Amino acid sequence: MSENRPLLSMEHIRKEFPGVVVLDDVSFSVEKGEIHGLMGENGAGKSTLIKILTGIYPSDGGQIFVDGKEVDIRSKHDAMSCGISVIYQELSLIPTLTVMENIFLGQELTRGRVFLDKGRMRKRAVELIEKCHFSISPDDLVETLSVAKQQTVEILKALLMNAKLIIMDEPTASLNIQESESLFEIIGNLKKQGTSIIYISHRLEEIWRLADRLTILRDGVVRGVLAKEEIDPAKVVHMMIGKELKETVSQVHEPKKDGSVLKVENLSTRELLDQISFEAYGGQILGIGGLIGAGRTETLECIFGLRDYSEGTITLDGAPVPKSQQQAVRQGIGFVPEDRRQEGLVQLLSVEDNLALPNYDLFSDHGVVSRRKKADAVNRSIKQLRIKTASEKNRCMNLSGGNQQKVVLAKWLLRDLRVLLVDEPTVGIDVGSKSEIYEILRKMADEGGIVIVVSSDAEELLNISDRILMLVDGKVFDDMPNVDLTPDDLLLEASGIYRKERGQ
Amino acid sequence: MKKKLGFSLQKPIMLLILVAALSIRLPGIFLTVNNLLNILLAVCIWGIMVCGTSFALLNGGIDLCIGSTAALAGCTMVLITIAFGYSTAGTILGIVCGLGLGVLCGLFNGCISYYFALPAFVVSLAAKNIVLGIAQRITNQGTIICMHSDLMNFIGTGKVLGVPFLVVFFLIIFALAWFVQNRTTFGKHVYAVGGNPLASRYSGLNSRRIGISTYVISGFTAALSGIMLSCFNRQAVATQAGSYDGNVLVALVVGGISLQGGEGSLAGAMFGLLLLGIINNAMVLLGIDSTYQDLIQGVLVMIAVAVDVYARNKNNGLKRRRPLWKKKNA
Repeated sequence: MSENRPLLSMEHIRKEFPGVVVLDDVSFSVEKGEIHGLMGENGAGKSTLIKILTGIYPSDGGQIFVDGKEVDIRSKHDAMSCGISVIYQELSLIPTLTVMENIFLGQELTRGRVFLDKGRMRKRAVELIEKCHFSISPDDLVETLSVAKQQTVEILKALLMNAKLIIMDEPTASLNIQESESLFEIIGNLKKQGTSIIYISHRLEEIWRLADRLTILRDGVVRGVLAKEEIDPAKVVHMMIGKELKETVSQVHEPKKDGSVLKVENLSTRELLDQISFEAYGGQILGIGGLIGAGRTETLECIFGLRDYSEGTITLDGAPVPKSQQQAVRQGIGFVPEDRRQEGLVQLLSVEDNLALPNYDLFSDHGVVSRRKKADAVNRSIKQLRIKTASEKNRCMNLSGGNQQKVVLAKWLLRDLRVLLVDEPTVGIDVGSKSEIYEILRKMADEGGIVIVVSSDAEELLNISDRILMLVDGKVFDDMPNVDLTPDDLLLEASGIYRKERGQ
Repeated sequence: MKKKLGFSLQKPIMLLILVAALSIRLPGIFLTVNNLLNILLAVCIWGIMVCGTSFALLNGGIDLCIGSTAALAGCTMVLITIAFGYSTAGTILGIVCGLGLGVLCGLFNGCISYYFALPAFVVSLAAKNIVLGIAQRITNQGTIICMHSDLMNFIGTGKVLGVPFLVVFFLIIFALAWFVQNRTTFGKHVYAVGGNPLASRYSGLNSRRIGISTYVISGFTAALSGIMLSCFNRQAVATQAGSYDGNVLVALVVGGISLQGGEGSLAGAMFGLLLLGIINNAMVLLGIDSTYQDLIQGVLVMIAVAVDVYARNKNNGLKRRRPLWKKKNA
């Protein structure tokens, strides 16, 4: 009876990398037309499981069945012929081609095997777009589309190949609220048409809303499979991290007396920033909120000397901050960029070498590195920040997202920092590491450092900031202590239509 | 579970197999101190270039101008030596000028490619012809013979404790380059910039200055090896190092230095260099017709790279353990 068989079932999957067992006896199944959530901390083995399912890694044990038949998936192509498609966080479209060219890439319809049959391709594309109620045209150039629309192109591509199962890895990570809503609608439609979906996300509310079932992984082992009714935040978090989360006590910290002061005055750039002025004090965490494109990252980049500004002054304790990142580092400023893979880490290098990267001046004598000093400092910070790695010689690319972010933070904390600039500290990071990262930032402030955090996550800003600076279209819209603020207030402020009333 | 070593074993093993096979095939000829010194002597001029150019590759760049730089430096040195009547002082001046020109070539390549944001491949390819052109101009496209400089003769063919001076000098340069790459701030920075220029910049590194320095080093060692070559040949000609760019890059890549930068080690590059040296030496000893030598060298190099990369991926868990030829399930 094929009706009762699950669409996909993976049984007793095992995977080892040198020195670590990444997946241990993992069994996982998806029914027809089911939305199956997959959660777990970074490093729990979600991505590895998906990579095995799509033929990127070989498994070291276990079997995969599709429609009850055992399959041997050795490449993305094999996965597709089994009806499995993945939509990755990093989209894999070719920006210079049109929507139609992208969805037919590699499976073009032809006349006589040589000539492209554009007419038929366009007709097929339009059919698909209409069936899914997408608002794109087959002739749009992909690079002109928003990330959300690019995602719909990926979905079209999957549907064109008659995907029975679509895997979505953090699909809402780079979407705004409206875009996420329309994605959920699309997912609902796909489900109605009988397509199954594996939905990977760190956001519990999305899982709760969408998923029919939820599988939770921790340390490469399945910790539970919950039906929709059983999904309960406290239970899920407990299963994911194996311990209870501490409630963070929100309390506004006053600036340290006679502490450091970072003063930004009338900062303007040609493209965006317009007369930005604010002060940040030692002992406090200053949160910067606003929409994407409001100038938050640009402000941090100006302070760190990565971006040239046309006007304005930046001073730290009265001394001007020069427009060069080397000088900024020497003055005691550190910067944790938004994209840790591209900007934060050298993936090819070991944890040790990444931690040492900005700090060779501390470990070396006339340019010759003292390996003892380096190893001491590195081991200390791995221990302090509880960075999970098989060895300090392990390459950063093998670490989970949360641990990678800890490495980026740790490399700055090895220095005597006066200012730490952090752009989106916890994007794509699991709950457990998140709270550890918050603790690290708070500790830095408690020791008298100036911490400036940019975040798109309203909860996060409210959770960690002592003061919040709202930017709108490159201008400072509001500068307020974090007292009695709600996520709604921040959202309204970010769109520039409302200022929170407050008494003195 | 495999035990973690600090380095991969496949390169030494490949080399050992090759040496063992040749020792059996050529008893009493191949595995002799004299022949091994010959192999070293044959590769040490390339080897000096490999040491310097590895910096450019590790940093994520490439330098195709090294052969021309070597020619220009050699020609300059010989011309100056002759102009000063074969005196030792003249030769020293020639060496200094030759090295200076090498540094200038590197500086030129580095500055053009960084300040105009051009790919190093294009810049150094163009510079290759410019520098070669200059060398041809100053030598009037002729061969300049210089037999009577004592210092040159010592550098080229002299011996220190029975070992050719060139080999000793190459080993010193190798040790120095290894030290800089593995034990100094600069070396660590080169790896970082090669691995991810953006992240290095965000960590407060001056990636431009580091990058330009790698070309300067590459130009310097290219000039050094050009000077050694002229001393060895007791002559200089603009075409003297024409095939060197290719051989040096082959040694680096066979040695596992990534063309994308950030990966590989100088020790690996030395295996690549020795592999080339042994192949060339063995082909001569085996009496293989010289018309086949390039062909055979190319094939062996390709096999070496394929085996190395395949074994490395397998160790990292990225390749399947099942044999390649096993049929796929239906």
